[in-house]
Amino acid sequence: MGRRQHLADAVPVSGAMDTVSARIANITLGNDSNCAVVELTYSGAVFFAETNLMISYAGEGSVLTVNGETLPKNKPVFIPEGNYIEQKPSGTGCRVYLAIAGGWDVPVVLGSRSTYLPAAFGGREGRSLQGGDTLESLNERSVITDKIFAALQSSSVKYPSWQVSSLNDYRKRSKDIRVVPGRESNRFNGESLSGFFTEAYTVSVDSNRMGINLIGMVLNRLNNTEMLSTAVTPGTIQVTNSGTAVILMADCQTTGGYPRIAQLASVDLAICGQLVPGDKIYFSQITWIEAEKLYMHQEEHLYKAALAIKHKYLY
Amino acid sequence: MDSFNIYQLNENAVTIEFGKVISEDRLQTITAFNHKLQQHPFPGFVASVPAYCTLTVHFDYLQVSRWVPQKVKCFEKVNNYLTELYGTLTNVNISYNKPAIEIPVCYNAEFGTDIDTVSQITGIPVDEVIKIHTSKIYMVHMIGFIPGFAYLGGMDKRLNVPRKAKVNTAVPAGAVGIAGEQTGIYPFKTPGGWQIIGCTPIEMFDINRAQSSYLKAGDRIKFKSVIKQEFEQYSRQ
Repeated sequence: MGRRQHLADAVPVSGAMDTVSARIANITLGNDSNCAVVELTYSGAVFFAETNLMISYAGEGSVLTVNGETLPKNKPVFIPEGNYIEQKPSGTGCRVYLAIAGGWDVPVVLGSRSTYLPAAFGGREGRSLQGGDTLESLNERSVITDKIFAALQSSSVKYPSWQVSSLNDYRKRSKDIRVVPGRESNRFNGESLSGFFTEAYTVSVDSNRMGINLIGMVLNRLNNTEMLSTAVTPGTIQVTNSGTAVILMADCQTTGGYPRIAQLASVDLAICGQLVPGDKIYFSQITWIEAEKLYMHQEEHLYKAALAIKHKYLY
Repeated sequence: MDSFNIYQLNENAVTIEFGKVISEDRLQTITAFNHKLQQHPFPGFVASVPAYCTLTVHFDYLQVSRWVPQKVKCFEKVNNYLTELYGTLTNVNISYNKPAIEIPVCYNAEFGTDIDTVSQITGIPVDEVIKIHTSKIYMVHMIGFIPGFAYLGGMDKRLNVPRKAKVNTAVPAGAVGIAGEQTGIYPFKTPGGWQIIGCTPIEMFDINRAQSSYLKAGDRIKFKSVIKQEFEQYSRQ
């Protein structure tokens, strides 16, 4: 998901803020995990099914309903044509991902279907979706997708009893965001460093897809020598000259010149993609070896989920 | 050879540090090594991103983890590969051997909305500002900030002016700006705080090109002053 191939041209990664939920939505439909999904932030979207649809959605902070009935997450759902699908607020978090059988039909730009708003490319004409847009799915579906569709096709809303487990307990995990000390962590004084790993940080209202600004203990440097800009990635935690920490997210710039106090374990980037202003988070320190184990565990979980669905419908 | 030091950026990327000071020689080394890596990518290689003194190498963790012997950490595997490849680097002067890329710029006050201000701050007449800006050869140290934005080194110190007090909310595409000892070209309409002295008709960033950014790290460029008619001819091409 996202595009990493053009980072040298300063084209950001983009893509889903919560990649795990986005991938789960695709997996449950038998889609390739690179299929385009719609990222719905907060709530209020309404869709009209012009044809029979098979969708899936995953994520936090809202639910999708049809005729007042809440659709379950993390599983394929058949919706007959003529129904309205409404997004309603529910619980904590802020993003759900809507996938459709075959993936949404938006063009591949620079190797990816991801939208990048600041330069207005990718996705639907490089912009956010608007009322009145018609979205279609791609015609090429996998054999598994066709089998799931055939099994669910009905005259009413229908879904199977199975589901893919979420992997992330967003509320619990946000109290323990795992990070590895960054390249410039030794530029901070001891008090700031220990504070970073023990104090609560609150998500600021001026957070967006580029970065999550944190309010909390000011992080002071041992000296104020400027550093040369170098590569940063989603998950890099930079500290600005005023001592504020910022978690760089999906649309972040490709290079940065602020000291990097820490780097998120990749598996916890998805958790941060669900944070809303006012959320309190805590950081804990792990090693790259631990971060890589967590990453392998996540990938195995998603791989096994896809495999289980394949076995269920193909054999 | 420059010092060569690799650290882990995340699970899927490492950064190679070539010392800590900006220099043209360092840029040559990074450009040459990047070129070599592009020609000899390892299985799972995704992208390499040059910056002032670093080259960051992005890869696919799962693919690298499948290299034999599987028990060795991905970081070690990539580290060993890059270190070995660096040992084979002989010619580091590839970009010195290429001609400078000419960038046409119209410095009319209509496009160079701050050129009069620059002239006032520096005490240098507008004609002379243009002459100084077009007389230098600039090195592209890296592409960063926004897609296609080149950080150029080599500006004449006489043109050192502060950023604008108020950020311009919509600098047009192609605008050529200066600030401090830096000069650069805005690839598309965006907010910006540099003093704008002209505009180029060249599309600095184009999603329909194989190389979306017109410039890349290691390129050498030269600005050429053009009149408005020439600017418009370029724009129509």
